[in-house]
Amino acid sequence: MPERKQNLPQLYRFCFLMLGDSRKAQEVFHATLREAAMRAARGELPSEPFWLFRDARWRCLEATKSDLQPEPVEMAERELDAKAESQIQRLDPMQLAIWISAAPDPQRSALALFYLDEFDYQDILDIAELKLSELSHFLAKGRRQLQAWLDSKFPQSSNV
Amino acid sequence: MKLLSLMRRQRALVNCAPITARQLADRPMRSAISRADGSAEFADQQNFDRAVARVVRLISIPAESAEWFSEKDLVPVSNRTWKNTLRNPAVLAISIAVAVIAGVFVFNFVSHLNDFPGSATARKLLGIAASTRPVMLDPVNAEAGTLSDLFFMKHGLEHYDVPEEFADLGTIGCRVFEDDESRRIAQIWVSEKRMQFFLFPAERDTKTGSVLRFPGWRYVHQEGWTGAVTEHSGVCFMAAVRGEEKDLQPYVAKPKD
Repeated sequence: MPERKQNLPQLYRFCFLMLGDSRKAQEVFHATLREAAMRAARGELPSEPFWLFRDARWRCLEATKSDLQPEPVEMAERELDAKAESQIQRLDPMQLAIWISAAPDPQRSALALFYLDEFDYQDILDIAELKLSELSHFLAKGRRQLQAWLDSKFPQSSNV
Repeated sequence: MKLLSLMRRQRALVNCAPITARQLADRPMRSAISRADGSAEFADQQNFDRAVARVVRLISIPAESAEWFSEKDLVPVSNRTWKNTLRNPAVLAISIAVAVIAGVFVFNFVSHLNDFPGSATARKLLGIAASTRPVMLDPVNAEAGTLSDLFFMKHGLEHYDVPEEFADLGTIGCRVFEDDESRRIAQIWVSEKRMQFFLFPAERDTKTGSVLRFPGWRYVHQEGWTGAVTEHSGVCFMAAVRGEEKDLQPYVAKPKD
């Protein structure tokens, strides 16, 4: 099915956003697809939608469990700026992935799934096992935190 | 309180609003977006989200990982075999329905294969034969062949003749009645094998009014009863018996003198 094949690049991007590291993302991506191939050979593919993403998410969380964890620091927040678009354009995908992967889960999963622009909110609730109020909270907070980070990294000319 | 909760939910939905303007199937989301649409805050959020999504799309796929995309077998989908297709409840239901319709069609086709003019009336009369009791008939002790005169003299029924094959059988009783289409039917009960005879007008062409003839003897079956029918001079004769064709065949096959 073509849509599912198209999902595979998105699956890799999801792993990359969750881990912020290309090598680790590849490892999880390959492990997920190897498992899928074995299940397919046995005719045991789950019928539930997005199970590949759910599986990859748990692998990503597992992979980062043993990593050094960031200290729980309250991140600064700023209201969204109308000029944020120009700041974001200056971002490198790697920088964005590192920023998202540093967020605590389930905020990390929520941001990664949302910014893939692949799923509607109900799919994200299903994959990340969240309630609507939680997803809304994580996204709104994530935007404000990202704005604050962008302001510190790319200060607006008027502020300089 | 309800209004507050509704507003909170709408606010929550706006925070999760889709990044690209794809078709929204979710009605609450459509409603929340239409309320928020036009506000500067929502426009900033949408611009912010679109810009971030554009960066995400720039994430390049390493060549090693891209190799997986061409592997058809690894795509977790259609391992759909004929067996799986047949096990699908929808396919199963449709197959059963088609089989039943085909069965009914074949049954109707086969049961009407031996139809002849008057076979519908003959089947109805087999139903009457099954429900008739001897007391319902006028007692007559004679040879069946002699009742033609009685039908003509008493009821004015012309050509209501019992064929020679059955003419010698002794009768117990007889009657004349009208069916639901006001056709006059003669019924005779004979002692042999508790057989019943029926004489009724042959079917006619609705346009020309001419009798629809058929040669020889034809058989009809209804609820365990069998009838052997023949037509002569615009009148059909049916010998009915509880049983099968083989019970009537010895009489029908009897050579005429």
